[in-house]
Amino acid sequence: MPLFKTEKKPSRGPAGKWDVVIGEDMCKACGFCLAVCPVDVFAWRTQANKLGWFPMFTAKEENCIGCMLCYQICPDFCIDVALKPEFAPTGD
Amino acid sequence: MSTLDLQTNEILVAPWSDWERRAVKGRRLLEAGTYALTEGAIAAGCRVFAGYPITPATDIAEYMSKRLPQVGGYYVQCEDELAGMHACAGASLGGLKAMTATSGPGYTLMHDAYGWSITNEIPLVVVDAMRVGPISGITGAPGQGEFYIARYCTHGGNFETIVLSPSSVQEAFWLTIDAFNLSERFRTPVTILTDQVVSDMWEDLFLPDDYDALDFVIPRTNNMSMPFYPVGSAELDVAPNIIGQGTGVCVSAYTHTPEGYDIEEMEAQWAQTYRLVNKIRHHRPELTRYETVGLDDAEVVAVAYGANARTVKTGVLEARRRGVRAGFIRPITLWPFLDGLFAVDRHYVVCELNYDGQLVREVMRAAPDKAKVHFMGKSAELHTVAEVVAGLDGVARAGRIPELPYIWTEVR
Amino acid sequence: MNKLAQKYLRPSQIPTKACHGCGIGMIENWLLQAIDELSLDQDDVIFGTGIGCVGRQTYATWGGDNFGATHGRALAVATGLKLAQPDKKYLIVVGDGDAASIGTSHLIHAARRNLGVVVICEDNMGYESTGGQFSPTTPAGYVTNSSPYGMAEPSFDPCDVVKAAGATFVAETTATQWHQTVKVVKKALQNDGFSFVHVRFPCNENFGAYALGTRDTLKNLEWIYEHTQGRKADGSETDFTWETGIKHDASNSRPEFSKIMRDMNVRVREEMEAKRRGALAEA
Repeated sequence: MPLFKTEKKPSRGPAGKWDVVIGEDMCKACGFCLAVCPVDVFAWRTQANKLGWFPMFTAKEENCIGCMLCYQICPDFCIDVALKPEFAPTGD
Repeated sequence: MSTLDLQTNEILVAPWSDWERRAVKGRRLLEAGTYALTEGAIAAGCRVFAGYPITPATDIAEYMSKRLPQVGGYYVQCEDELAGMHACAGASLGGLKAMTATSGPGYTLMHDAYGWSITNEIPLVVVDAMRVGPISGITGAPGQGEFYIARYCTHGGNFETIVLSPSSVQEAFWLTIDAFNLSERFRTPVTILTDQVVSDMWEDLFLPDDYDALDFVIPRTNNMSMPFYPVGSAELDVAPNIIGQGTGVCVSAYTHTPEGYDIEEMEAQWAQTYRLVNKIRHHRPELTRYETVGLDDAEVVAVAYGANARTVKTGVLEARRRGVRAGFIRPITLWPFLDGLFAVDRHYVVCELNYDGQLVREVMRAAPDKAKVHFMGKSAELHTVAEVVAGLDGVARAGRIPELPYIWTEVR
Repeated sequence: MNKLAQKYLRPSQIPTKACHGCGIGMIENWLLQAIDELSLDQDDVIFGTGIGCVGRQTYATWGGDNFGATHGRALAVATGLKLAQPDKKYLIVVGDGDAASIGTSHLIHAARRNLGVVVICEDNMGYESTGGQFSPTTPAGYVTNSSPYGMAEPSFDPCDVVKAAGATFVAETTATQWHQTVKVVKKALQNDGFSFVHVRFPCNENFGAYALGTRDTLKNLEWIYEHTQGRKADGSETDFTWETGIKHDASNSRPEFSKIMRDMNVRVREEMEAKRRGALAEA
């Protein structure tokens, strides 16, 4: 399986149930999250952040299928991916 | 009249002149300097020794390997002196008093660890039992070639150091306790410069029975709150930092903030240096230790420290007996250098165990007239009483030291 | 900031000084996951680092107590510190230069003693902090700042060195093996002995630029991926493949260094006590 997916697949499965938060102030624009994501969630900002990079942002959160690849690959602790509260397991 | 009958004013300025007078129960032994250094450390609360065997400090390692498990401490025989001193720094950071001991060739490997310990204000004690060099030199001969290296024990400047030197077995015991106390108060490595003779010789040693009853030992305390590094302050008696008690302390090799973060600003360098230099410079009275003989009326004063101070002192007394108005200064604190001892304008004859002249340069700097500072350097053997008498007599009569075999008088 | 970073790291030190696309932060994220999954608190873990990119970029990020030793000496410091604070978990996060070059002596002896620490040797195959000179782990023939004609010296794998010296847990992963790294670090933390985890990661600014010909973060991480899989994107074989996985697992099979020392002390005190009672009985 390739590491980076240049062609994004359509979202299926648990799509639309995830909160994807990027700390844009900490992003150094490495591009890993966008490249590793199998679906179409991320895009580049057109304005630089305080560090001087054009950061990544969550453009289409509803496409996220919760694979967590972006969370694992981000080198700057920027990304949090979690089930939206209404979908989170209540735990019995 | 024998030398012993001479009326000379002998002065000792050191904390142990008071410690010795306290009514402490103990016993008299015949022991070596290395034994006394070891017991002094144990008495001071040292519980970790990490080092590498090297003549003439090997016995300290061996004694420590036997004694430390008896008192719940740890002897670590490291792969080299570099690891040894770093391991001592690690143990001290973890809350245990630590010591290492080496000789010249191992001492030169400790610069790195000294730098780390000084910049992070880690208390520890380093014993350098000096020998003739450079490097291996003559294995079993005393030297005094690390006078400057002990002051400039790491690179980069911007620090002061504390260096002490004993000249007898009994003094080695007390002075080691003093060294640990100073390292706790000043939060810095304290160096004990001894030599092959003081380390290996056997003399009377009074050893207290109960180390826990020694109320002058300063116990380890832990700094539990910010600032971990009071940069910009010369404050004394700040508790040492500790890793492992959840204080969040950061310890590194870099110029640091009060939290310990690395920072690359000039203001931070100034503040850190202010602390590392002035915590020692502003408290010089706490660090003054010396011995003098006959200074009231002396016109020529012999200066020596460590083992050769013993024969030089006898030489001074013998010169007096022959009518020379001789005096004697033995600095016990080598650094910060006791400039004040050399304030009087008279002749000084500096006797040291090296040919390049190290202590003599500091005396020249401190004395009012450097033309009156004379050098008697010798290597591999102590100065004989006859040599010292000849030197003192020569300076008293003709203002210079006569030619003596194997005595170096040139300082450039 | 992600939740684990909020839980364990120091906010004032994030974002780190690492270059964009550097693997150091990635690996630290996986360390936090391993720590979290083992339910360890900030106070339970001490980070020790060294000099160089891995050392500097990791230093002070950990919210609990941590130290950055002189170059190559983190394990020497840890040898003393472990005796004084034996109950903590130690993560010694150092680079290939710090652990496998200048610090190899201490690495070997810490492994020999079975010192109870986890060494995370993050390997970017060169001295990248000083601009990109080769290191003992640079692959043969690669061009670096100080091997302009190609790396002529043979390189070695520090895993082999520590295994031979007596390490009780040795594993290797790369910067494209996040799940494996978390798993392996968890196992390493549960070994009461010397654990060595070797993680290869990309450097874009120096190794990427000079050895691989590009600073493109995606291309350089892809290079790591290819050499982990052993196959390039077009299906052809790579010039070499890293052997990843757990290379040696003798966890908890022999006594840990500080325990050996404590046990010896107990034995010595007992013998002293027995002698004292014996002497009293005779009196």
